[in-house]
Amino acid sequence: MVYQPPAGARDLLPLDVAQKHWLEERLQQVFHRWGYHRIITSTLERLDTLMAGGAITRSTVIQLQHLDDEPLGLRPELTASIARAAVTRMASRTYPQRLYYNANVFRRSQEGDYTRQQEFYQAGVELLGIGGLLADAEVLMLLMDCLHHLHLPGHLVLGEAGLTRSLLSIFPDPLCAKVRHAISTLDRIALETMELSDDLRDRALTLLDLRGKPSDVLQNVSQLPLNSTQQDSVRNLKSLIELLQDSQTDVPIVLDLSLIRTFDYYTGIVFEVVTSSASSGQTLIGQGGRYDQLLGLYHPQGESLPGIGFSLQLEELHQILLSLGQLPTQDPTSDWLVVSETSQTHAIAFTHAQKLRDSSALVRVEMDLSGNDHDQIREYARSRRIPHIAWIESDGSAAIERVN
Amino acid sequence: MLTVAIPKGALLKDSIQLLSAVGLDFSAFLEPGNRQLQITDPTETAKALLVRNSDVPVYVEYGQAQLGIVGYDVLREKAPNVAHLVDLRFGSCRMSVAVKAASPYRSSLELPLHGRVASKFVHCARKYFEHLDLPVEIVPLYGSVELGPITGMSEAIVDLVATGNTLRENGLIEIDVLFQSTARLIAHPLSYRLNTDALNAYVEHIRSQIKDAIAA
Repeated sequence: MVYQPPAGARDLLPLDVAQKHWLEERLQQVFHRWGYHRIITSTLERLDTLMAGGAITRSTVIQLQHLDDEPLGLRPELTASIARAAVTRMASRTYPQRLYYNANVFRRSQEGDYTRQQEFYQAGVELLGIGGLLADAEVLMLLMDCLHHLHLPGHLVLGEAGLTRSLLSIFPDPLCAKVRHAISTLDRIALETMELSDDLRDRALTLLDLRGKPSDVLQNVSQLPLNSTQQDSVRNLKSLIELLQDSQTDVPIVLDLSLIRTFDYYTGIVFEVVTSSASSGQTLIGQGGRYDQLLGLYHPQGESLPGIGFSLQLEELHQILLSLGQLPTQDPTSDWLVVSETSQTHAIAFTHAQKLRDSSALVRVEMDLSGNDHDQIREYARSRRIPHIAWIESDGSAAIERVN
Repeated sequence: MLTVAIPKGALLKDSIQLLSAVGLDFSAFLEPGNRQLQITDPTETAKALLVRNSDVPVYVEYGQAQLGIVGYDVLREKAPNVAHLVDLRFGSCRMSVAVKAASPYRSSLELPLHGRVASKFVHCARKYFEHLDLPVEIVPLYGSVELGPITGMSEAIVDLVATGNTLRENGLIEIDVLFQSTARLIAHPLSYRLNTDALNAYVEHIRSQIKDAIAA
């Protein structure tokens, strides 16, 4: 029989790995330069840990049964795990904590999904224990720096979930959730046909359209009747956008106050980063936001702590960078092929190979294991693009041959 | 370049007429003997893809088309992640439950427990009967659904009804309506948020065309 991988599973072969590594290496460099430290959390979590924040539903988690009947799940994202680890295991440390991750995540494929992929890779950061303008700006600029180092043109779609939620509070209760759902899914027709007074309908449609050039959107939102908290949010948003624009980031920003989820997870800014390519159109490559209520859920004393972060979708980035021709197209090749000519020279050949490997720069050396004749060995070296052969002859000397 | 996914079949003519009213001429799709699946309008500002009704949201969800025209029935059935922008008012029909005229059933609730319901719209049908809390077996079919009750394979069908002629000619009657459907303008959410290729101007233009048509 043929053993197939499970539906939706993918193997990464050496070339895929070399490309993935190229990408991860660059992101990691950026994270390090901004003073972030890598954290590795458990792939398996208790289901209640994963779902505590309200953004994850049970049906999307691949579940496992633990021996003592505690429901466990494969993490669908990293923020819950990092929040749990940070507030319980690193509580004695001082804040802010700058953490990054590079890990696999799992999602149960849903009815209607076009792919059945279940394992994905993400890299991202979490900046914990500090709120405010500068922290928001740091995370957004770090995200833009990632794009810059990948030579990827992109757009930033920026929203403010706290402000939008507050603007939605004028809708009476059962309707509010419906209006929010329609706005978050960009369903204009639902708003037009909903049982609403004309005033409320106009307001709902205004909220749906609060999107575009930041200065225009800020002006439009300022014309709504705002309470003092909302005015503060608008002012903060204005300062943040000015700060980003003054900091010579070359990523265009679309301010979009209709960018909100159907659940209360994000409390402040929310954002998506989109890149466009001729072949695949607009692609979402990363997203994030501020979540000032989340850490408190995991804190043993319920102490609330601010947090903000983003995740980048490595598969999407991989595809786009590949189509732009930025990724390596070949596995690294060996620099040397060492051939032992006689049965008496094996030890000398291994020693010679080791000497080559021990050089201070990375030198890749492989031993000939075939025992084939010279022409076959040369053919092998050529096909593997190995530039040098060292023939270890019966007197123990090494004859160097360049392969062309 | 702005790309619009246009459905083959019943909605094609109205779709092309609407797009030409906003300055995008894809009438080449209507020429007899046309075999092209992708054309660019004469002013080279937009491209159109000719696809099956149920494939329109797929192209739009993947972002290969930024705009699409599709029946609400397809949106209900597939629940794609797309922006629902304008009710285009044409292509009116309804999703209905129908049974053999000779059967005793006159409403969905009278259907027998664990009876069979044949449909191309499996998701809509399942949702509807779940909502009624009536356990039935949904039998997926891909066409000529009317044969379900005629042959006795199923008690009822859930299908789109426009004039009701097909039902009548096959001795079936409508007993309940799930929802009314018309053609909708949909957009790729990210492209809509970013206003890619000045997409919003076209959306507004189409919206005002529909408004004018209603006023007239």
